[in-house]
Amino acid sequence: MRSKRLLPRGSLFIKYFVTLFIVVVVPLIFGAVGEAWFGYRDQWRRLDEVLQAEARSAAGKIQAFTDGIRDQLGWVVQFPWTQDEDDRHRIDPLRLLQQVPAIASITVVDQTGTERVFASRLRLNRIGRGVDMSTDPAILGARANKVWYGAVRYQRDSEPYMKIAVAGNVAAAGVAVADVNLKLIRDVVAAIKIGKTGYIIVVDDSGRLIAHPDMSLVLRGVASSDDISRLNNSLNATNGAAVVTTADGGEAVVAVSVSVGDPAWNVIAVQPISEAFELIRAALWRSLILVAIGTLITLALAYWLANRMSGPIRQLEDGAKRIGAGQFDYRIAISSGDELEQLARRFNGMAEELATSQQKSERIHRLKRFLAPQVAELVEHSDELLDGQKREVVAIFGDLRGFTSFSARAEPDEIMAALREYYEAVGAAITRHEATLIQFAGDGVMVLVNAPIECENPAHRAVLLAIDLQAAVQKLASTWSAKGYAMGFGVGIAMGPATVGTVGYKDRLDYTAIGNVVNLASRLCASSDDAQILADSVVAERVKDSFVLVPLGQQIIKGYNYALKVFAVSHSEIPAESFDSEVRSVEVQPNLVDLYTIAQRIEGPRLVLPVE
Amino acid sequence: MARPLVARAQEAAKLHRILWISTQSQPDPFFDGFREGLRAQGYVEGKNVVFELHYAPGDPLALRKIVSELKRGDVDLAVSSGPATRAMTAVTEVPVLFALSGDPIALGVVKSLAQPGTNFTGATFLSLELAGKRVELLKDVYPELRRLAVLSNTDHPGEQSEWQATQQASRELGIEPVYVPFFGANELDDALTTAAGSHADGIIVFPEPVTLVNRTRIAEFAVAHRMPSMFGWSEYCEAGGLLSYGANQRATYFWLASYADRILRGESPAALPVVQPEKFELAVNLKTAKLLGMDLKISSILFRATKVIQ
Repeated sequence: MRSKRLLPRGSLFIKYFVTLFIVVVVPLIFGAVGEAWFGYRDQWRRLDEVLQAEARSAAGKIQAFTDGIRDQLGWVVQFPWTQDEDDRHRIDPLRLLQQVPAIASITVVDQTGTERVFASRLRLNRIGRGVDMSTDPAILGARANKVWYGAVRYQRDSEPYMKIAVAGNVAAAGVAVADVNLKLIRDVVAAIKIGKTGYIIVVDDSGRLIAHPDMSLVLRGVASSDDISRLNNSLNATNGAAVVTTADGGEAVVAVSVSVGDPAWNVIAVQPISEAFELIRAALWRSLILVAIGTLITLALAYWLANRMSGPIRQLEDGAKRIGAGQFDYRIAISSGDELEQLARRFNGMAEELATSQQKSERIHRLKRFLAPQVAELVEHSDELLDGQKREVVAIFGDLRGFTSFSARAEPDEIMAALREYYEAVGAAITRHEATLIQFAGDGVMVLVNAPIECENPAHRAVLLAIDLQAAVQKLASTWSAKGYAMGFGVGIAMGPATVGTVGYKDRLDYTAIGNVVNLASRLCASSDDAQILADSVVAERVKDSFVLVPLGQQIIKGYNYALKVFAVSHSEIPAESFDSEVRSVEVQPNLVDLYTIAQRIEGPRLVLPVE
Repeated sequence: MARPLVARAQEAAKLHRILWISTQSQPDPFFDGFREGLRAQGYVEGKNVVFELHYAPGDPLALRKIVSELKRGDVDLAVSSGPATRAMTAVTEVPVLFALSGDPIALGVVKSLAQPGTNFTGATFLSLELAGKRVELLKDVYPELRRLAVLSNTDHPGEQSEWQATQQASRELGIEPVYVPFFGANELDDALTTAAGSHADGIIVFPEPVTLVNRTRIAEFAVAHRMPSMFGWSEYCEAGGLLSYGANQRATYFWLASYADRILRGESPAALPVVQPEKFELAVNLKTAKLLGMDLKISSILFRATKVIQ
């Protein structure tokens, strides 16, 4: 239960959560990826530019190195050779050795290609006519192009050397050939640092290493050339544009190459990839951390918001369920200060309304037990109608004749079926006339008119109802007689003041009337024959203009100390042969029986003669 | 190239032991140069490097005894100065750095200069090639040179080759070489007496530890006998020799420390090429020239000199 509350499920929560999460995280990730991508491109472009610039600058310096040697050699071949040795021609090469440390030895030939001076740092100098060098490629090359650069070679397989030959402006000045120790380019190359770890290397056109900040790689001679040729080849494939490759030792590097020109060397600017992409890597990490933090914040925020949304909704759902289950006193407590709180307030209002409405309908339901539905509705709206009060009412009592012997003879289901038919017929008539059904008691029924709803001319309405009752029950009686049951129906009506109101205990409330008029009506009912409607004098007085009444004279009614005038209401529902003396003899007083007997005998069923 | 700082720190934490083998005697300028070089590489003596010094002046056999007992793990690196390398040839388990006047291939410690292929590497001074050049330079300064005393400690690898190169150059230049050999420091005095009586008008001294240690005496001897002198290294010239031509020793030993660093960091000496000097110092001592009554200002030697001592 606890974990369920901690991690609420339900599609709404998930929808809100996912939506909120995506709304924030997706742009965040797009931003980071974009930054990384553009950063990478910018970095690559910048790197290419920097390396190109460094390589060009280095190439310029290398060029200056070789150009310096070339220019210095030019000094040696400014003057034409004469037959005799002169000091200048002898001393210039020695001075050159002093001036240019990279030159290991220098050979000067005259216009015929004969060696005239040889000066070296290591070997003995030679002065004077020496060997014929006219077919030496250096001499031929220099004569043809003024300047000639030899191929790079590794002396004793280790130190890189190259010959540079320069011819004088005039053929008579001859040619100077210098053997240059390229190890000294190291000083140029070592001075160049690209960033913290980047460096410059120089290779010749066939991929032989000439200069490297780590001199030992150069001194390894051809042994180093495998790595270097591969680097050189991968750069040649891209025309020198920046390329990611591996340098000596298998380190991943970014490299660009620039050609020097004369001699045809390549200067390669190399930067280890670890440094080259240090910035972009840092930026990537930064982005990644930001995305991670953003994601965490979003997770928390989305969880909180989704919970804030779905929480009250679940509360509402829970509330609706409880209210739906009839728990109308339940109140939803939401104080989010937004529409949801308003909705909760509406729900609470609805529950309140429902409670009221249910109470009302319960009351109406109760009222309908003794009132016609329309009357019940009417009464519902004014509670005081049901309060106890003194009121002039018409009480109507009806009672089946011969029911006792029927119920003794018949089977229970037959009895119940007959009673059901009887109640339905009676109930329908009561409802039709908007009278108040006080109770059914066995085969008897008590009805009130003019209470709790007052009506015009209650006596008239009561008589009409009585006639209707007789009609309905007599119709039933004829079907019963067809089945062999001999049952009749008598009605008594009396009008007078009575106390009306609800009595009872808790939910078992009944509306009833208390007073002489009720007793009188009951007595009259008891006195009435089958199909007869007996009314007291009050009723008779009220309806004499509308109905045919047969005065039955003064009669002694039980509970009354004096005789009362009794009238029979003339109606068309008196059956001809339903008379049962047995019934009457039990329930009707002897004098009334006599009266009735006389009337029957003389007047026939349709005529009730006044007893007096 | 650039190593991570952590790696550097770890290396710095380890204590490296370096064995220094020399047939010289202390004070040792070469060892000072090497030690200076190591300091420049970031090593601190006592903290991450300790030296074990073995000197056997003029007695390589004594060194051989120490070296024969040298096993893997005893030291991290052995550095042999000059002729001591000869005593090291039997060492195979410990990396050896050398600084040789002669040819390491001839000595049999490396297979080639480009790729030694053994536990040896270092620097060679190309003394052999320079031997002839020294005679030539001496003649340039003193064209009247006819008879040249060649003072040579025979207890030195490649000494015979050097003598032959000197002989050949002398002959080419029309000079008669007078060989004055001696074995070790003990015979130096006798050798000088021999040289004095050789009627030579110039003297050339092969560069090696014994003559280096006694350079002032030798230089003074040469002046005393009015002989223009030629030496191998500028240290001699500074001590009063007239001329010297050769690679800068101290610089070479200083540089050797960078190889020491690489080997201590784990590189194999087999792949580290033997380095040859590319710069040669021509030192001239004008004071000595004056004492000898020579006017070098008219000679081409001054503009060719790298170092002029006045």
